Amino acid sequence: MPDKANTSSTAASLTPASETAEEFDDESEEESKIRVRFNVRGLLRVFTADFYCCGLQQQIRASSLGSKHAGEGDDNDNWTRTSRQLLRPADQMDLTETELSEEIPKILSTENRHLPQNLVIYSFKEGAYIPIPKSTNVVTIFECEGSAIHIESAEAKAQIARDGVDPRIAELKSGTQTGATTPDLIDRPEGTPEQGEGEGSEAGGEVEVEGEEEHKEVAVGTTGGPKKKLTNQFNFCERAALTCSNPSRSVETQTVPPPRSQFGANVVQWHIYDSYNEDFDRQTREKEKEMMKEKKPGLQKHAELKRGDAKNKATEEFNRKYLQKCQILERMVNQNIFDDIAHGWLKSFLTISTLTILIKDFRYYEDPSDEFREDDGTLLPLWKFTYDKCKKMSVTDICLNTHYFDLYAVCFGSFEFIKQVSEGCVCLFSIKNPSFPEYRITTESGAMCCDVHKKYPYLIVIGQYDGNVCVYNLQMGTKEPVYVSQGVNGKHSEAVWEIKWGEDMQDGEINFYSLSSDGRVFNWVLMQNKLTLTTIITLYLDVPPVCGPDGTMIKLKASGTCMMFHPTNKEIFQVGTEDGLIFKCSTAYSSKYLMVYQAHYLSVYRMDYNKFNSNIFVSCSGDWRVKIWEDMRNDPLFIFDLGASVGDVKWAPYSSTVFAAVTSEGRVFVFDLNVNKYKAICSQQVVPRKKNKLTRITFNNKLPFLIVGDDKGTSITLKLSPNLRLLCKPPKKQGWMDQHTLQVQKLDRLLSLVRELPEGGQSTENDPVDDATSN
Amino acid sequence: MDDQPKEGGEGDKKIIHVYPLVKHSDMQEEMKNEAIDMITTACEKYAQNYELAAKTIKEAMDKKFGTYWHACVGEGFGFEVSYETKNILYLFFGGNLAIVLWKCS
Repeated sequence: MPDKANTSSTAASLTPASETAEEFDDESEEESKIRVRFNVRGLLRVFTADFYCCGLQQQIRASSLGSKHAGEGDDNDNWTRTSRQLLRPADQMDLTETELSEEIPKILSTENRHLPQNLVIYSFKEGAYIPIPKSTNVVTIFECEGSAIHIESAEAKAQIARDGVDPRIAELKSGTQTGATTPDLIDRPEGTPEQGEGEGSEAGGEVEVEGEEEHKEVAVGTTGGPKKKLTNQFNFCERAALTCSNPSRSVETQTVPPPRSQFGANVVQWHIYDSYNEDFDRQTREKEKEMMKEKKPGLQKHAELKRGDAKNKATEEFNRKYLQKCQILERMVNQNIFDDIAHGWLKSFLTISTLTILIKDFRYYEDPSDEFREDDGTLLPLWKFTYDKCKKMSVTDICLNTHYFDLYAVCFGSFEFIKQVSEGCVCLFSIKNPSFPEYRITTESGAMCCDVHKKYPYLIVIGQYDGNVCVYNLQMGTKEPVYVSQGVNGKHSEAVWEIKWGEDMQDGEINFYSLSSDGRVFNWVLMQNKLTLTTIITLYLDVPPVCGPDGTMIKLKASGTCMMFHPTNKEIFQVGTEDGLIFKCSTAYSSKYLMVYQAHYLSVYRMDYNKFNSNIFVSCSGDWRVKIWEDMRNDPLFIFDLGASVGDVKWAPYSSTVFAAVTSEGRVFVFDLNVNKYKAICSQQVVPRKKNKLTRITFNNKLPFLIVGDDKGTSITLKLSPNLRLLCKPPKKQGWMDQHTLQVQKLDRLLSLVRELPEGGQSTENDPVDDATSN
Repeated sequence: MDDQPKEGGEGDKKIIHVYPLVKHSDMQEEMKNEAIDMITTACEKYAQNYELAAKTIKEAMDKKFGTYWHACVGEGFGFEVSYETKNILYLFFGGNLAIVLWKCS
């Protein structure tokens, strides 16, 4: 601060000496520098500093020279070190120690001493020399007026007086600019006037200042406002503030471009054509597939069925193939099983050497003991046919197959009202295989009767205990009936006892007749898909009607138990009833009987026409009797009492005079009227008397054996011994006559005996009874 | 798809298929169907003017699915294009036309 004040003061005093500056300028242009100073008045003056430092320069120059010399001396020293003698100029002054240590001050002044002080110029105006004003050596380069004014200046005072600005501020401002004289005033507090007074030397000035201060205080007191900067009236400049602006930034990002692919192709017409064709083919294929699929849901079931069928068919075919083989094998095995029987026979035939293995077959066995008997014959049991499921059922009917002599059907059911079976069964046995039936048919209720069609041996009609009838086609399988009676009105109301195929109708329709204990005979016709039923006859009894409930009259009906058709006249049939009557009827008349036989005392079980003479028939009954009748004759020709209820009776197919009957006591009777009119030529216990009852009997049409059925589900084949099947020997004269005529003749001869002697007939009626009872 | 088999004038039956047959496409199913519809309508409308047809297709596609679509309609040409993946359709139409439609921005 004081230095500054000095320079400023010197600068102020320099102005007159500026005239000599040019000289120095020439000498030292390079060293010239520009100094900027604010003068007290606020004027900025720039001038060269050369002028006041010229002396200094000279000194510097000298010293630099000196240093040069010194440098040289050093160099010399380096290579004249040995001599170490300082050379000194000749004219160098010798100074004493005190003189050397004396300080000689050099004062620099801005005053240019070379400038003439008193230059004059002649003024023609005044007519005298006037002094030329001293030229200054100050060159103004730049001038800038400040806004601040000296506090002590008149202008400042006027301003303060006008505005009332706090003098202290003004002082402070001016103090900083005015120099060393003012600080005292500024720093001195107002409340210490004594101190100022105590200083003494500047007392006058002080008073003046204090007066000012008081004046200012007044101004302050009057305004009381904030400190205010004193401003220049004319060139006032407002100060503005600028807040720092937010820096701007630039940020860049780049997204991943979407993925791209390449594709190229060549379009040519044949490509298009080929593509279309290919696509069309594909479409047609798909359509076909869809068609298949579409078909599927609709026909899926069908298809599945079909598939199932196909599978079944395949398996069936497979099975059938194997079944055949198995059946053959089974028969072989069975043959071996029953070999001992055959073997036994073989033993008895050891004498006959010609017998081959075929001897095992039953048909070649003849009871040799017959030769030694007079008339009697024997029955040899061959095989027993059973079916496990039917062991508790009784054989209700035995029917031979018309085509296969070794095949016969056996119905299983029950005759007992109380012990009815839950389901019936019809088995077709082959005598070649005694162990198992060839066919099995299961019926809903007990099978009571069956019949095999003569023309169509695969058709079997079955009558059931519940009154239903059903037709099975063995070719179609045995699981489902081909025809079955339907509804309450479409069936018999009671058990069907006898069922027979009828002759084909005029237009070839297959039909059958059925007889039931409800007293009606139905004719069933096999239509396209159903059975149609017509009532042939209702068996009303020839008795007055009985009173029914509510005063109604009920005509009593005879409940039929058996029925047979005339072998030649297909219209004629006979019906045996429960009350022992036999009606001869015709399909042509539904209300009239051709004949009524008072045949038995108990129900007629079975009847049979003679195979050779259809006028002769035999009947059996629960009253133990077997009677032989001639058509349209009220009285029987023969009566045989068998000592037990006779279940069945049959004429032999090979002889007109032979018939066989079975009784409930398990005996089989074989009669040959030609041999013995009174007695059976064979009476044999076939099954245990107490355990089993025999129910049915049938002759085999071709082979000499009987089949009998019992109530334990067993059917037994019985070989007839030779005595039981004697054939007629043609008379010597009439050797050409065939067996049939001979048989007819034989019967006729026999009958003529009976007919001729009605009384004798009567006697014969009694005789066998006696015989039987005697037995 | 409708196929209308037509009998050609020649001796044996000549079946001409006219339905749009997509030869190559990686479009979404919806977009593809729409594009096929557009192409079908455009090609049927301007059967004689392929340029106009192509223009129509292109503009319709631009409007519908955003820029920039390119369409080529012609009977014989070759092409090798870069396209934004999932945005190409190359199909035959009318038995003799090939249409390429792709997007590339």
